[in-house]
Amino acid sequence: MKSKKYDGLTIFLFLLPAIILFVGILVAPLISSFVNSFFEYKGFGAKTPVQFDNYRRLFDTNETWFKPSVVHALILAGLSVFVQLPLSLGLALLLGRGIKGERFFLSVNFLPVLISTVVIGQLWLKVFDSNGMVNALLRMVGYLKEGEDNIQWLADNGSGILLYSCFVPMLWQYVGYHMLLMYAGVKSVPTELREAAKIDGATDWQVDWHVVIPSMKQIIKVSVIFAVTGSLKSYDLIRIMAMDLKVKDAAVPSTVLMDFMSLRQEYGVASAVSVMLILLCFFFAITIGAVFKERD
Amino acid sequence: MKKFLAMLLAIVAVLGLSACGKDDGLTMWCIATKSDSNRHSYEAAIADMEKKYPDTKLNWEAIENETYKQKIKAAVAGDNMPDIFFTWSCAFLGDFVEAGKVYCLDEAYKEFADKLPEKMCKNTTYGGKKYGVPLTMNIVGLFANMDILAEVGYTEVPDTYEKLIECCNALVAANKIPFGCAGKETWCVTEYLESIIEKSIGAKALDDIFMGKTTKASWDNADVAKAVDLFQTMIDNKYFDPDGVSLGNDAVKQNFIDGKYAFYMNGTWNCADFSKKGPKNVKVAEFPVIDATKSKLGQLIGGPSDTLAVAKSAKDAANTAKYTFELGQLICKYGYLDGCGLPAWTVDYDASKVNALTQSVAKIVTDSDYMVLFGDTAMPSDEAGKYLDQVAKVYTKQVDGAGFIKALKEGIR
Amino acid sequence: MATKKSVNLEQYQVRKSKGWVNVLISIFLAIWAIINLFPLYWMFTFALKDNPQILHTNMFGPPDGPPSKWFWSNFKEAWSTGPIDKFFINSIIITGSTIVITTLAAMMASYAITRIKWRFSESVNRIFMLGITIPMQASIIPVYLVVSKLHLINTPISVIIPYSAFSLAMALLICNGFMIQIPKELDEAAYIDGCGRGRVFFSVILPLMKPAVATTAIYTFLQCWNELMIASTFLTGEKYMTLPAGMAQLFGSHTTEWGPIGASLVIATLPTIVFYILFSRRIQDSFIAGAVKG
Repeated sequence: MKSKKYDGLTIFLFLLPAIILFVGILVAPLISSFVNSFFEYKGFGAKTPVQFDNYRRLFDTNETWFKPSVVHALILAGLSVFVQLPLSLGLALLLGRGIKGERFFLSVNFLPVLISTVVIGQLWLKVFDSNGMVNALLRMVGYLKEGEDNIQWLADNGSGILLYSCFVPMLWQYVGYHMLLMYAGVKSVPTELREAAKIDGATDWQVDWHVVIPSMKQIIKVSVIFAVTGSLKSYDLIRIMAMDLKVKDAAVPSTVLMDFMSLRQEYGVASAVSVMLILLCFFFAITIGAVFKERD
Repeated sequence: MKKFLAMLLAIVAVLGLSACGKDDGLTMWCIATKSDSNRHSYEAAIADMEKKYPDTKLNWEAIENETYKQKIKAAVAGDNMPDIFFTWSCAFLGDFVEAGKVYCLDEAYKEFADKLPEKMCKNTTYGGKKYGVPLTMNIVGLFANMDILAEVGYTEVPDTYEKLIECCNALVAANKIPFGCAGKETWCVTEYLESIIEKSIGAKALDDIFMGKTTKASWDNADVAKAVDLFQTMIDNKYFDPDGVSLGNDAVKQNFIDGKYAFYMNGTWNCADFSKKGPKNVKVAEFPVIDATKSKLGQLIGGPSDTLAVAKSAKDAANTAKYTFELGQLICKYGYLDGCGLPAWTVDYDASKVNALTQSVAKIVTDSDYMVLFGDTAMPSDEAGKYLDQVAKVYTKQVDGAGFIKALKEGIR
Repeated sequence: MATKKSVNLEQYQVRKSKGWVNVLISIFLAIWAIINLFPLYWMFTFALKDNPQILHTNMFGPPDGPPSKWFWSNFKEAWSTGPIDKFFINSIIITGSTIVITTLAAMMASYAITRIKWRFSESVNRIFMLGITIPMQASIIPVYLVVSKLHLINTPISVIIPYSAFSLAMALLICNGFMIQIPKELDEAAYIDGCGRGRVFFSVILPLMKPAVATTAIYTFLQCWNELMIASTFLTGEKYMTLPAGMAQLFGSHTTEWGPIGASLVIATLPTIVFYILFSRRIQDSFIAGAVKG
């Protein structure tokens, strides 16, 4: 048998590539961000220590939309968990029953995941345009009367509509992703188990509810973590649809981060945002883990 | 095992490829992407330069506007600047100069002083030293679709504020939309708001506010609040397309080209497009005077902003500086001939073929006596951010004149 | 047994949902499929319009309906708006290298974590898993500074390494799932034969991990192929730009011809879609395998 010492070296060597990547690109920059968050730093020139000033500024609504941005991210996370995931779950369950054209629907529903957010963003901009599809439909059904102004779905005008206009494509794009994850869970339920339940007289719905879903707990947990942390990190579609990093109605932590980083060049405050972002992500990942554990 | 060796080889190959990516010659970054109206002037100028200096290879790169701002700032931070780079004047370049990353052009300027008037370098002069080569310059113009104005009985662009209001009322009564303004891009709102403020409080007063020259709380000016309220009254009176708040500038501009709006206030770089694509009958004027006791015609918003600068880290910086002046002069020339803006450099070539719109802008500029640079260019980036925040709120009516000056008074200085 | 099964089947028939429920389900699925196919339709029609058609908006004509006049020339002009082919090749090289690096690093780490017994294996694994929740935004500034100090800005490596690092946790999760299922007896037999850890890893474990490679490849691909923020900050030149960065660049500052941009979007998206259609079954199966194992 091998000596302990030798194994230690082997373990280290096997872990080395992963450690280099992990420490070099994740850990070290995180520490650096954390340190920078206590300095005023323009990216070049001198760093001035400012203690907690950067964090104080984050919570000053005259300064930035960080506070609403966190609220928005939480709303998105909530919608994601309570609207997007149930939709994904529903699709996964339906398709998992072996419906005709199962593969076709799977493929089609997964398609938006592969299409670039640049394309998706431009498409939904047109759909929500003041003369776009949505308003035209509302006119057709008579909700918008002749001579009445269009609804401004995309205006950052304090009405808060923009937030939801951005959320629709964000939620929609990844329904297929979660559907496929959950479909995997549905399919991994042994056929015997299903059949046994059927013999006992259960309907398809009852089988889904009492047999399939409980056995998918692990996958649902993963989906929930992805959906929530994904909501906290969201950026691309908001950036494309709101067109402006200074957007208020649809501000999310990442737009605030990029505002401080690329427009205001205040790397200290930007670092403070990223520290907050990481803390939020960790907080929710741990909380969700705990919630699912408790249910055991 | 073999497969993994092959994969490893592939990685090494990629690493090798990337390692030998650096070429000789000069590097330049700019924002003249292939769809930018300035693209042609850069291409033509660079072609000329390559003919003249066949030994100097210029590797240039055009990056989309917003991305570019981020990229150049990051490059300055990371000491990865290209030799020559596009920049906006005043505060944008000022930050880099302050950080000591920009090469001083005083020495090279001497050779070009006769072709480049001193006053054109004003916005890129810091501590008495020149750091930028100005290209074309632009002002805010009031573009008018004369065919629509004719429908309500106007043959000229209204030259007083009262006439303009009458004209707008007539247009609204005739179910026409007077103005289009892109609420999705706050700089488009500033084109309107700054003109209205300037013609209410006077160019000098506005300039002092932007440059922070007056004493503390420079925004604390009741006349600014009044001008903001006036702008909002115009919105209330349905002078502005209500859909504008959710449109980007591309869409608004296209609407004007297609004859949806009677007026469009925006930078004069649009001249080239309007004379090429329509509207058929378009004129450009300056915004009329609102308060004649404080302002007068000839007070404009705009000035030289597009600039080339040389990095301190540039190869052979002294010669690169000269190269940049020559290049800037050519870009300016071709840009002017294309109608993308007015020349910051003295015109020593035949410019009679420049489109009529640009020529009338040139006349407005010649007759002008005060130019106030765009607020967001004039202010340091953090202040410009707060300013733009408030401007956006004005357009969507989340803040009124009093709130506007209060927020800026507290937020800036 | 046989009789029981037939009874069972009968019951199954009886218990099947009512006809109209099935119709409703079918309608719902069909509508959802149409919504998901709409972007493709929209993109193709967008690519065939000119500026007025795209920006002038009404319900059944443009921008969402078919073009009133077809501008095939947009496709010709698309090539003049930017080197899309180059962007595409860059994307393939960068995503491909990321997949190779991530997979290799994850496999090796997974071997150390799941197949060698040591005290901290579980804690180390947990630490790596934290990577799943860390957003790329969090380290973009410091990473940029480091990368530029090494003079690696605007080289493929400058994005490949961050991509690999941020894909690592997910890949490791998947690899662990697959690796745990390989029976321990295999390694033990090999050790008894006198093989070292390295030999065992390369000649016993790796050949059994082929399905895991496909799965990690797909998850890594999904993370990197459309990534915009890092790509557009780190890749400053067209020479090495990826598709998303290149496409974002096509959206010019003051004037933009939209038609050719639409055509570029189509050209850029088409190969991925075709590839997906051709291999959708395998791709889905691998994706599913990841979900089950991970």
